[in-house]
Amino acid sequence: MTDSASRPDPEPAGPDKEQLQANALADFLDRRAAGEAIDAESFCLLHPELPGLRSEIETLDSLEGLLDTPVVEAPPAASPSWPERLSGHKILSQIGAGGMGSVLLGADEALGRTVAIKALNPRYQNDALVRTRFMQEARAMARLSHPNIVHIYNLGPSEEIPHFVMEYVEGAPLTDAARALVLEQKVDLMRKVVQAVDFLHQHQIVHRDLKPGNIIVGPDLEPKVLDFGLAKQSGADRRLTLAGEIMGTPDYLSPEQARADALDARTDIYSLGVILYQLLTGVTPFRADSLSDQVRMICEQDPVLPRRINANIPGDLQNICLKAMEKNPADRYQTAGEMADDLARYLAGETVLASPSSYPRIIAGRIEQHLRDLEEWRQDRILSLYEHDSFRKLYDRLVDREDAWILEVRRLSLSQVTLYTGGWILVVAAILIVLFRYNRLADNAQMLLAAAAAVPTAWVGIRCWKQGRLRIAIAYLLAFCLVCPVALIIVMNRWDLLTGFSHGKLSLEVIAQFSVTERPTNAQLWWAILLSLPVYVWLRRFTRASVFSLVFAVMAALLPLVTLLRAGAIEWFPDDARKFYLWLIPVALAYFAMAAIIELRRHPGDSRYFYPIAVLFTFVALTGEAAQDARYADWLARVVPRTRGQIEYLFMINACVYLLLQSFSERFGSAQLRSVAKVFRFVIPGHILTSLLFLGISAYQAWQDGDAAMKGETRFFEILLPLAACCFVFGSIPKQMKNFFATGLLFLGIGIVFLQHDLFENYALWPVSLLAAGLLLMYLSIHYTAVKLAIRRRRRSGEK
Amino acid sequence: MEQPTSTFHLFDRVKNGDRGAVSVLIDRHRRRLAVMAYYRLGPHLRGLVEVDDILQETLLKAYQQLDQFTYRGPGSFLGWLSLIMNHVIADAARYHGRQKRNAGEMLPLRSDSVPGGVEPVDTQTPSRIIARDENLRIVLQALDGLPEEYREVILLARIEGLPTKEVAERMGKTREAVSLLLHRATRRFKQIMGERNL
Repeated sequence: MTDSASRPDPEPAGPDKEQLQANALADFLDRRAAGEAIDAESFCLLHPELPGLRSEIETLDSLEGLLDTPVVEAPPAASPSWPERLSGHKILSQIGAGGMGSVLLGADEALGRTVAIKALNPRYQNDALVRTRFMQEARAMARLSHPNIVHIYNLGPSEEIPHFVMEYVEGAPLTDAARALVLEQKVDLMRKVVQAVDFLHQHQIVHRDLKPGNIIVGPDLEPKVLDFGLAKQSGADRRLTLAGEIMGTPDYLSPEQARADALDARTDIYSLGVILYQLLTGVTPFRADSLSDQVRMICEQDPVLPRRINANIPGDLQNICLKAMEKNPADRYQTAGEMADDLARYLAGETVLASPSSYPRIIAGRIEQHLRDLEEWRQDRILSLYEHDSFRKLYDRLVDREDAWILEVRRLSLSQVTLYTGGWILVVAAILIVLFRYNRLADNAQMLLAAAAAVPTAWVGIRCWKQGRLRIAIAYLLAFCLVCPVALIIVMNRWDLLTGFSHGKLSLEVIAQFSVTERPTNAQLWWAILLSLPVYVWLRRFTRASVFSLVFAVMAALLPLVTLLRAGAIEWFPDDARKFYLWLIPVALAYFAMAAIIELRRHPGDSRYFYPIAVLFTFVALTGEAAQDARYADWLARVVPRTRGQIEYLFMINACVYLLLQSFSERFGSAQLRSVAKVFRFVIPGHILTSLLFLGISAYQAWQDGDAAMKGETRFFEILLPLAACCFVFGSIPKQMKNFFATGLLFLGIGIVFLQHDLFENYALWPVSLLAAGLLLMYLSIHYTAVKLAIRRRRRSGEK
Repeated sequence: MEQPTSTFHLFDRVKNGDRGAVSVLIDRHRRRLAVMAYYRLGPHLRGLVEVDDILQETLLKAYQQLDQFTYRGPGSFLGWLSLIMNHVIADAARYHGRQKRNAGEMLPLRSDSVPGGVEPVDTQTPSRIIARDENLRIVLQALDGLPEEYREVILLARIEGLPTKEVAERMGKTREAVSLLLHRATRRFKQIMGERNL
């Protein structure tokens, strides 16, 4: 500061003068900011009328002086002159230089060994902040003792320049050393490094700058991790990084480092993944011409699969590598220990646990392109709507990110099969306990067994899920889903809950029909299922795996059936089965409603399990009604006496109902309802044509039995059947319904045989004319266009 | 202020992959950036985010995007860093959701404290860079003592190093008014420095 600060400035005489002075000051500053070499003194001499100008410029200059950081750049090439001795060791040479410090080779004359000394660069030696950081690094390292982490012998005394003495590791950087090694050796080397990093993490130190250059491999193939320049102690929030000095090689930078997000130990795991990638493939995963491109790639792109670079790389190692390199830290190995375990598993020839999330993503990415193609093909009429829908359905399942685990589950490996077999035996055993009486299994023992079956399966399942071992978790949780209601029944048995029979009759109990015990009662079954349903919903939400929707849908379908049992369905069957089928109709409708609601709420992955059950209920209900309901048949005979209430007519009514349902679900439907419509449509031709055939046969038999009045009816159906078949055959064209075509052709053949049998027995002209008709049709189809045009011309001339 | 040739020269070296040059380049602006971050954060965010963190992220981002920067004369590098800092602070504000609405206003250096309220006393600032750096503390104390408008003009003109014309645009005033403001602010600043015997 100048001494003018204490002296009052001469006041400007008036507002004009003040503005003049202000303008002059602004002029001066602007000119200087523009890079003009302008001297304050000479500028002030130009404005003798403004006495305060000088002191103002000085004030501002003093502010500048306070803000300018005195940075002395180290001479670029010439090594700074180091003292002859540090900590009593003779300095031999400089062997390395980093951002903050240089590594010197020293001779420990007392012990007769070579040491490495890391000393702070002279340009930082007066910066208290850097000095502190530097010594913190040394202290962090000195606390550790691990065969694969470089040892610190001592910290430099405070009177010398900041430095510390460490073990001198003779060797080559990891990637250089690994070049001559075979795969197993490389993996073993990597495992040791990962273990060392795990050791660091256990001591709350995140390395943050792991790269091959910081891992030196000695001749004994023991790697040593060094250079904690960026190390952060994760426990205490002491940040060792100086602003502007996170300048690690971007090759090994994790996405969160690149984005300058919060870092934790998992950032090291990413770097380890990159190092493994480089060991396997020989190249780093993300290479770009510019830094910003590279950073963008690190943050956004999936690396090229190692096996694409070298097909000899085992898939398991690729899995480990990609798992460590997941973009989202939560998807990576959560500890370096887990990664080391997986590497050890590979070395032992076992299957590794890693399953990178990028695989389903790769599939999904490609499929999205396919789906866009499909959509275009549909619009271009290359694909029919139905072909499009069926492709879509297949692809949707693959894309469904919730079903990522399916990729693993689909593989029928030995462990997979064992897992599910075990789960199934567990469930069957639990059911045995409920269904049969065991004299040596008291109620309490049953309780214990139920708990032993249910609790560990649930616990292990949830734990595995949290650990990301989805394949195993799903098996356990599925087993739990089935054991859950069984366990509930055992609990109810233990405390004699809900032991009353439906309507008080043992004969109405479904279990009592088959097994030696009277339990579980229908009521217990009903409650067990009802209470299990929320569990399935929760599991669905917890795991987001749609398989639990399937479990829910199936169990929820059992619920109305058990409800009917409680209402006494068993008693209905011998003589009044219609009641059962009648009740099924509202159940089916309720299921349709449920499926539609779930789909409307945008959970198509869930609703797709409800529709098939709804369709099944509809089929069973309508078929049962047609076959079993005498009153229905009577009603039909009364309303349309000609039908005489024959069951075939009822099936034809069913076919009409299906037709209505079909057109309804097609018109209002989503993709899923459209596939429901397809199922309904599928059964229509079979229903109608079979009915016609049987009607014709029964009329023929009645006629043969002497009822002459039936002759006309027989002829009617004989003609109708092939005609109807032809209608179906040609009706298949507009919507590409192959089943109409095939069924129609089949029944056309049957109809022709039927006609032959009755009308044209021993009538040579019949097969000859059929032959001619067949040839004519085939000929016409060759000249289809010409014939069509000729007909059109004829018609037009006829109109004239 | 920076010497244009030197900065330009440094960029040349950076383009050729000289990492040391980047450090020098960035170190040069450390204190200015700290002051900018301190006032842009405003009293509310300052309690949640450390100046050090803003600085660190700004410099890291700058380092990563260095190849997008083109030298357009003296001051352009600081101006570019200042833009990056705006993004970093906006991100931080978004992260601390409740500041969301204020984030936009906060960027042009207006601290949104209670009108007429006492300026927050930050003698025990949590930021280590400020605590360690004597010069920085002096500057911040003096600036804290200034009335809002005076402080703003000094920040824009002298800390960010903008030409008066641009300061006028930012503050929505004429160049004359800004010059006058700067002149008065300088006198007041000098007075404060004198009073505190700094």
